[in-house]
Amino acid sequence: MDKTSQDKAILMASFAKMDPVALGIALGCVWGVMLFLATGLLLLQGAAEGVQVGPHLALLGIYLPGYEVTWSGAVLGGLYFGIIGIVAGFVIAALWNLTHYIYIVLTVARAVWWKMMAD
Amino acid sequence: MMTNNNETQYDEVLLHASIKLNTRLLAGVFGFISGITLLIVTYMSLYRGMPNTGQYLNLLGVFLPGYEVSHIGAWIGFFWGVIIGGFIAAMFYRIYARSIPKLIQDYIKTSSKNDDLLATSMRIDGHYLGLALGSIIAIGLIITTNWLVIRGTADQSMHAGLLVNYLPGYSVSTIGSFIGALELFVINYILSLVFSWVYNNIVALRGKK
Repeated sequence: MDKTSQDKAILMASFAKMDPVALGIALGCVWGVMLFLATGLLLLQGAAEGVQVGPHLALLGIYLPGYEVTWSGAVLGGLYFGIIGIVAGFVIAALWNLTHYIYIVLTVARAVWWKMMAD
Repeated sequence: MMTNNNETQYDEVLLHASIKLNTRLLAGVFGFISGITLLIVTYMSLYRGMPNTGQYLNLLGVFLPGYEVSHIGAWIGFFWGVIIGGFIAAMFYRIYARSIPKLIQDYIKTSSKNDDLLATSMRIDGHYLGLALGSIIAIGLIITTNWLVIRGTADQSMHAGLLVNYLPGYSVSTIGSFIGALELFVINYILSLVFSWVYNNIVALRGKK
């Protein structure tokens, strides 16, 4: 394989674009399942009679309206975190791609500028 | 400089330069996201106007000097978010980048001369993602727990102790931090494998190269 193709492979492995949709869905799935399991685990462990289960995790209800440490709350929380994960994943991928584009544009512009100056 | 990695040679200098650039870019992006997230969460807590505003969020001040749920504290939190987030991202990518030589070999085997560089979608290596994410988070737990031990507030750290609900054997002590870190590493490793599997399959389903 020639040198150009080898260099291209390095650039493809290092600078390939993130897929915003895929990253969003993957992050949404993992975060959603994580909160569902975190809530479910507390419910399965239970608490003494008259004592609230997971009062600290329930504080997430401040940021996620309707969320509480119950099975229905676990589903709702999972959905919330799923949506937050989708948005976060999309934003992370978009920012990652954008910073690379900006860097490439600046590098090319600088190269063109110096070529012009040299000519 | 060329290196002979199993089958195919490639330019190691170019590879290291690429990794260095990606490390900087990721540190910048992740640092900004961490800082802005802490800023927004602090302001959300501030403007909800509940009794004991930021009762729990204020606990971050134990680890982030100067941070509190206030207007100035929100910006101090932004500063720490940028610094710590950027540092963590840089460490993360340095570990994750160990997967790149394998990816290069894959691209050399499968790509053709006509492949569009800009149209190529990233593939995530679950094993290295798990190693990177698992190590960073596990080390984070060890540092934060032992910081509480060094401060002499381990006995009063009831909130940190709640982690025992998810990490059996964990306690706010040096030994407990290592047990918890090991469990956290395993959990993160498994989640990373699931995450990368979902991501790579969606990329493949969407027909990206």
